[in-house]
Amino acid sequence: MPSLAGAKERSLFGQVVKCYENKQYKKGLKAADQILRKHPDHGDTQAMKALIINSQGNTEEAFALAKIALKNDMKSHICWHVYGLLYRSVKNFEESIKAYRFALKLEPASSQIQRDLALLQMQMRDYPGYIQSRRAILQARSGVRQNWTALAIAQHLGGQLVDAERTLSAWEDTIKTPPPKSDVEHSEAVLYKNTIIAEMGETERALDHLDAVSKGSLDRTAAMEMRGQYLLKLGRKEEAANTYRTLLDRNSEYRAYYDGLVTALGLQRTDLEALKKIYAEYSEKNPRCDAARRVPLDFLEGDDFREAADTYLRHMLKKGAPSTFANVKSLYTDVAKRDTIQSLVESYAASANPTQVNGSAEKQPDKPDGEKPADGTDAHVEEKQVNGNVSQFDSSVRYFLVQHYNYHLSRDLEKAMNLIEDAIKSNPGSVDLYMTKARIWKHHGNAKKASETMEKARSVDERDRYINTKAAKYQLRNDENDAAIKTMSKFTRNEAVGGALGDLHDMQCVWYIIEDGESYLRQGKLGPALKRFHSISDIFEVWQEDQFDFHSFSLRKGQIRAYVDMIRWEDHLREHPFFSRAAINAAKTYVSLHDKPQLAQASLTNGINGEMDKLDKAERKKAQRKARKDQEKKEQEEAEKKDAKKTAGNVGADGEIKKEDKDPQGQKLLQTTEPLADAMKFVTPLLEYSPRNLEAQLASFEVFIRRKKFLLALRCLLTSHSLSPSNPTIHEQLLRLRHTLNSHPTSSPLPAPVSSLLETELSKLLDRDTDLTQHNDTFLATHKLSTPHVHAALRARYALASSSQLDAVKEEGQKELIKTLELGEDGCKLEDAVRGLELLRWWDVGEEGLGEYRARARESWPEATVFE
Amino acid sequence: MDIRVLTPSDIPHVQSTNITNLPENYFMKYYLYHALSWPQLSYVAVDTSRPKRTPYDPPKIVGYVLAKMEEEPVNGIQHGHITSLSVMRTHRRLGLAEKLMRQSQRAMVEVFGAHHVSLHVRMSNIAALRLYQDTLGFTNEKVELKYYADGEDAYSMRMDLDFLREPTLDADEDEGDEVGDVGKKENGDKAGGKKVRQRRVKIGKGLGVGDLVERNESQV
Repeated sequence: MPSLAGAKERSLFGQVVKCYENKQYKKGLKAADQILRKHPDHGDTQAMKALIINSQGNTEEAFALAKIALKNDMKSHICWHVYGLLYRSVKNFEESIKAYRFALKLEPASSQIQRDLALLQMQMRDYPGYIQSRRAILQARSGVRQNWTALAIAQHLGGQLVDAERTLSAWEDTIKTPPPKSDVEHSEAVLYKNTIIAEMGETERALDHLDAVSKGSLDRTAAMEMRGQYLLKLGRKEEAANTYRTLLDRNSEYRAYYDGLVTALGLQRTDLEALKKIYAEYSEKNPRCDAARRVPLDFLEGDDFREAADTYLRHMLKKGAPSTFANVKSLYTDVAKRDTIQSLVESYAASANPTQVNGSAEKQPDKPDGEKPADGTDAHVEEKQVNGNVSQFDSSVRYFLVQHYNYHLSRDLEKAMNLIEDAIKSNPGSVDLYMTKARIWKHHGNAKKASETMEKARSVDERDRYINTKAAKYQLRNDENDAAIKTMSKFTRNEAVGGALGDLHDMQCVWYIIEDGESYLRQGKLGPALKRFHSISDIFEVWQEDQFDFHSFSLRKGQIRAYVDMIRWEDHLREHPFFSRAAINAAKTYVSLHDKPQLAQASLTNGINGEMDKLDKAERKKAQRKARKDQEKKEQEEAEKKDAKKTAGNVGADGEIKKEDKDPQGQKLLQTTEPLADAMKFVTPLLEYSPRNLEAQLASFEVFIRRKKFLLALRCLLTSHSLSPSNPTIHEQLLRLRHTLNSHPTSSPLPAPVSSLLETELSKLLDRDTDLTQHNDTFLATHKLSTPHVHAALRARYALASSSQLDAVKEEGQKELIKTLELGEDGCKLEDAVRGLELLRWWDVGEEGLGEYRARARESWPEATVFE
Repeated sequence: MDIRVLTPSDIPHVQSTNITNLPENYFMKYYLYHALSWPQLSYVAVDTSRPKRTPYDPPKIVGYVLAKMEEEPVNGIQHGHITSLSVMRTHRRLGLAEKLMRQSQRAMVEVFGAHHVSLHVRMSNIAALRLYQDTLGFTNEKVELKYYADGEDAYSMRMDLDFLREPTLDADEDEGDEVGDVGKKENGDKAGGKKVRQRRVKIGKGLGVGDLVERNESQV
């Protein structure tokens, strides 16, 4: 690089670098400009200046300057390094790696560049590259343990387990004096090596190694857990049993330990007496232990079950634990157990009732939510005999029964409602009771009353964020988006950029963003809906990015096993239902936009479900025009407001400068000309990370068939079929794919290999020559008692129909849909009926058709707001 | 309800549980910072009975304790700190908070040789105070004025953990010796020139490990 002539300039340049590192950007710029006044073409200074500009948020300007810098000094490793850093900051990791490589070629001795390259390779999971870089770093500084460990991690994750072990051992061999016992780094590195040995499948050797090192191991819990697993694997049952007993003595609330002990003792689920004895032993040892009392309910049957359940329920209800029901409801999949529990608790209620008539229920000193925690901590203090009084037991029993009759496997909403009304009468200050009443309304389908009741619960204890959260959630379920954010704002940092909603985004409050999006989707406001789903995707990107700093941080901390756990989790981060739920919704939204581009307009008014249904065409157009104008005006006003604010500086909670959101309403997303291409942003990760999620496959199919990617559509269909062969939507999608292929224009045939592959695979599910209409009619006739099947058949019929048949198909479909409303709870659940309504809307049947369906649905679900 | 150590994959739901229950919230990265610095100290309570709807459903977290070691202990005496603890309202009265806390405390002693553990609690939070004081045995050290972002004062509490230390554990331990290189981390914080008061606020709402981590990079 053309070096700076004067000592003054050189020192100034050093100052620029230092200022950048210390985030003193203004000072750094000043120094840089000082150099550039004398040497306007000094590449290195320009590069450093670009880096600072970028940190101030002016990315474009930074890139432009960095390019000039490179032009001025192609041979400067600083310029290339900076170029790589800029690319890294915009997450273009591939370009960044390239630039780092150039820089490193020019300056092979730079440990800084080497390290930056290595970290990025790790982030990108370029293991061969990472191993190479780590080896180079190790060679440069082999006296540091971290560098050995880092190479071992690279080898381990890159699949070279033998090398990884060797690398770790190589360092261990150099240790002359045993490290102090408190050396966490050493303790962890040794345990890490042990996990590698175990991963190689050499359990015996892993056990020997563990026994040799575990005395010095600080993480005793982990070492014991590993030991238990090895012993079980090796069939050394007696020792395994001892290990699990020790673990249980330390923590008797972990089922995996009981399972380990049971396996070690060679017990089957049928060895009831022996099993009972084990759990009895631990429940005696630990009077406050729940698992030892609760787990036997899973395997006991008949009278044994009744006896154990009786003891357990009485114990918990006496304690007044509001969570008792939550703790046993999983048993309800077994009908006999469900009935036993119901009869037990009903019998408690029956024997308690007389005292209640006397009015003793009025003075309950310790109501179910007697505590008033502002921060949700569990404040249960030692159970005292005083609390075990009759009325406490009674009210717990009643609360249990309410939840019981509200639960879908034992539902009797009327009974639940009567019980809760009684309970509230005798205890009007209880958050839990109102909360449960709100849930009952929800199950009635009455989103409005559910929301109002939850708001009532919130008002009882305004400092409890849990109930605040619930209130907001129920408001969203009732599509009160503004009220919901207002509720949330009682606990958010409202001075954040974007106010309360901005803070919820900052704080990655995923549940809220998804629920808000789904609410907008229900209302047909597709812009904000898409906006929210994209926000979820962005949060996952941040979560993926978050690991970056730990590639170096964890080496310093020495907690390698935790780091490897984290890496493996990050590798499939997007399988999380938080992501798939948003992604499936986004894909569906884009499909809707593709099928009905006019929804983008409708979305500007009241949404597809709003007033638009009732207007005729001309009025509709007029309304849309007006809406568009209003929207434009609103946008302009908002933009002006933003500009005014801009100068004030938008600094987020993390101290980073926040780029302002130019499209808060998602209008830009909505105006896409390629909704299906946009959908791929969600479909690709869905299929990569959640292939066994049926909903994901079904939603992806819809995107592919519209993009005419028939093989990919077929793959979704086949996967769906393997996951759940009898799912009715598969029937519909199969017919549609068959139909699409049969009617594919002969003028532009599919490539022969494609069509032959499609044919072979598709024939396995449905013969080529099948009369599709007839096949569908048969399906409908066979499954006419199941609403989801009827829906699938009707959607298929609509898809198969020629344009001249459509009106007739819709008319017929309307009748069929109304018929489903009379199928009773088994054949048509509330959510099925709601889907029927959505289908009618999709067919644009008009207000009259919708009205008739709603009226009929109200007969079965008089409380459901969706049919009002 | 299982009580077990927190793993990185639990974090999204721990974060959800936290923002559902408490006013003090954190980015994912701050949870990662705990889970990767002191992976043995944070515990979760898991509702094991929930049926899975897809093969990808993660364990349902109903309570957690997020804990750490003090990075620069005064006088070099190792001690733990409870960053956050909460249990869903639907799962209270099961003693989960206490069980979580006890596991965490033992790990603090066993792994990091902690002598005591400290925490902050809102002065208005009578229930939590009762738990810490009566059930667990914390004592009230002092009041920290305006500790919380909303201006509320905090009790600074601590609990002695020496009762958990076994004689064997102390035998060959060199007290006050820094474990690993935990101590080096704070440099970045100071370079930022933050005032003490500001640092406190950061503990609540918006602390990311961004500066902590990145800064260090240039110092290795």
